[in-house]
Amino acid sequence: MMRTPLHPLTLWIGAMITAVAVAINSSYLFNIGVVGALVLLVLIRRDGSPWNSSFWWALKIGAFILAIRAIFGALIGVPIPGTVIFTVPRLSLPTWMPGIRIGGDVTLERLSSSIAEGLTIATIIALFGAASALTSPHKLLRVLPFFIYEIGITLVIATTVFPQLAVNVRRIRTAQRMRGIEKLSISSIATPLLEQSLIRSLQLAESMDARGFGVSRKRSRYRPSRWQLRDSLYVASTSAIAIVSFAS
Amino acid sequence: MIKFSNVSLIYPHSTKTVLENLSLEVQEGEMLLVMGQTGSGKSSLLRLINGLVPHHTGGILAGDISVDGISTRSVKPGALAHIVGIVGQNPINGFVTDIVEEELAFGMEALNYPQDVMRKRVEEILDLLGLNSIRNRTIATLSGGEQQRLAIGAALVMHPKVLVLDEPTSALDPIAAEEVLSLLHRLVHDLSITVVLAEHRLERVIQFVDRIILIEGNGETSIGPADVVLKTTELVPPIIKLARALNLSEIGTSVREVRRQTSQIREHSNMPSSGSDAPLGRTDAIVEVHDLTISYGNKDAIKNVSSTFFAAEIVAVMGRNGAGKSSLLESIVGAIKASSGTVTVASKNPFTLKASERRNTIGYVPQEPSDLLFGSSVEAECTQADSSNALEPGTTFSFLSRLTPTVSLATHPHDLSEGQRLALVLSIVLSSNPEVLVLDEPTRGLDYQAKNLLAIALKEFAANFGRPVLLATHDVELVAELADRVLFLAEGEIVADGSTLDVLLSSPAFAPQVAKIMAPAPWLTVDDVIHGLNLKSL
Repeated sequence: MMRTPLHPLTLWIGAMITAVAVAINSSYLFNIGVVGALVLLVLIRRDGSPWNSSFWWALKIGAFILAIRAIFGALIGVPIPGTVIFTVPRLSLPTWMPGIRIGGDVTLERLSSSIAEGLTIATIIALFGAASALTSPHKLLRVLPFFIYEIGITLVIATTVFPQLAVNVRRIRTAQRMRGIEKLSISSIATPLLEQSLIRSLQLAESMDARGFGVSRKRSRYRPSRWQLRDSLYVASTSAIAIVSFAS
Repeated sequence: MIKFSNVSLIYPHSTKTVLENLSLEVQEGEMLLVMGQTGSGKSSLLRLINGLVPHHTGGILAGDISVDGISTRSVKPGALAHIVGIVGQNPINGFVTDIVEEELAFGMEALNYPQDVMRKRVEEILDLLGLNSIRNRTIATLSGGEQQRLAIGAALVMHPKVLVLDEPTSALDPIAAEEVLSLLHRLVHDLSITVVLAEHRLERVIQFVDRIILIEGNGETSIGPADVVLKTTELVPPIIKLARALNLSEIGTSVREVRRQTSQIREHSNMPSSGSDAPLGRTDAIVEVHDLTISYGNKDAIKNVSSTFFAAEIVAVMGRNGAGKSSLLESIVGAIKASSGTVTVASKNPFTLKASERRNTIGYVPQEPSDLLFGSSVEAECTQADSSNALEPGTTFSFLSRLTPTVSLATHPHDLSEGQRLALVLSIVLSSNPEVLVLDEPTRGLDYQAKNLLAIALKEFAANFGRPVLLATHDVELVAELADRVLFLAEGEIVADGSTLDVLLSSPAFAPQVAKIMAPAPWLTVDDVIHGLNLKSL
């Protein structure tokens, strides 16, 4: 059975509202709860499209940022007094750089505030990662007003071409590695790649031309997205969570 | 329906006339096949029909072409979108959206059709082409056959009067190809759509078409029913060669026809009824695959495959699209790592080979031969190959000129025809004299002559140097001609492994036409028949 998707804008609006809440309320529990809910949401709503993987990428990027933020926050910056967990050798800085230290005592307070900041950033990234994983950018473009639509088509083509470019680069690289060409060189990859991309874009242009693109100034829409009750429900419930989190 | 009046076509910066003074009228509900060598102008002729040539490509056009009474000179290709549907050689390159259903609707949206009309037509097409089960799928995840059907559907949804297809079956396995062709046949007969198609694998299409137009490549054309046009040309499928060899008075285009014509020959000659190929008892193993499994994510592309490839053996790896042919070959050449099991090539692990040792061990011609070409001329590519293998200058080029005598040193690799490009890559790969040669789908877009040259080159390499040749292909006629042994894959597992004769004869879908005609005699090719019946070779 096919699941009727939400309106393409719903998840994005929800993501924005929650992002504001996350930015204001930086409690561990709230952030972890949001990421957990997103994981569930993506697991339930994913439809096997290539965009789905963007959420897992967002999570990875978020984890990476969290780690970097925690390490740098603990080592560099303004010291916060409190319980010392461990001490790293401190770099002596010239006297005209007061208040900044590198190394020294790592306090629990310092570490936890760095982690909290990192977690906030990671959560916001995960929010938009989930929104883009569950609504293909192509669908999002379809709800945009008509005057953007023509630009939208260009963007759609670009977004489909980029993954293909990546695939082509990998294929060309493999083919050449199989030929014993170990040295990576720009020209050896760019030449076949450009040639193939050029052929592809010419064929695409021909196909669009042959199928009447741009003949009529007005375009109709095959399956317009409608804002439904559950879209309102989704936005309302995210707003409610946000308000509750402000209040607490 | 389509009328060419005194059409001549020449491209700018080219001295070659593509078409000269062509007059042709195609009736409603006719199926016309465009044939000719690679690069002879088949695609140009097809794209003249909706004006993509010259509106899109440039070129000087004399004469006039009209479709359903509209001259293509006066309108842009888009204005003919509701009359002419065109399906290009690589459908994936022509898709604009990313979901099946939306792709079908794209053309109608562009022409501002009302929504209820679009909904109705999309449903019709989904049913007509059997696409209903994949209507919400992402296009990138479809198989080759599904993509081809979708491309045809996206054209048909406009209710065109003319459908133009450029090599609709070249990337498809025999079964998917048959599906597409029988679909076209049905469209012609049930809806009286005019179909014009170009195709190299004539054996697949000639039984369906009403007339053939043969483009000679120098501007000349000849038009007529299949049996008339095919009587004189060199570009003929095995089924016609058989008719010539047997001196049949008429040329049949389908297995049924020729079988009827040859019933006497089959009865009167004392034909063997079972295979008598030499047993495959070879000892010098070069490539050994042991219990190989390759997984992508949680999907197994290859499951517990074990096989050994011996010296001087030509092995064809066959199977439907997505059966795991490429995965098997890629793991043999060391492009992908085995999830479990081992592969050895000349007792080395192909995955760890580097630089010149790799070149001397494995020769690999990838599916897209141009991936290997980045020089600015044929000369640059050949010199590079000579120097990296310490060969005397000119060795690679002399090998290349044996394959295709007409190639000049100054040509840019991009301007070569498909056949010439494959020959160039093959020469480069063979210049290092590898222990094993692996080719992935080498015959896409090749005409009979180019395929013949390929077959000769591969046979020579295998026989003279005693090296195994492995190729993945859908081309049963080539396999019948070339291979000693066939490995048949399905869903990543070996379902048949044996002599070409045994494997091909045991599968109705993959049996070559000559075998179907001469059954029960175990002959795969015209040469087999000539030897078997002690005929004089032509």
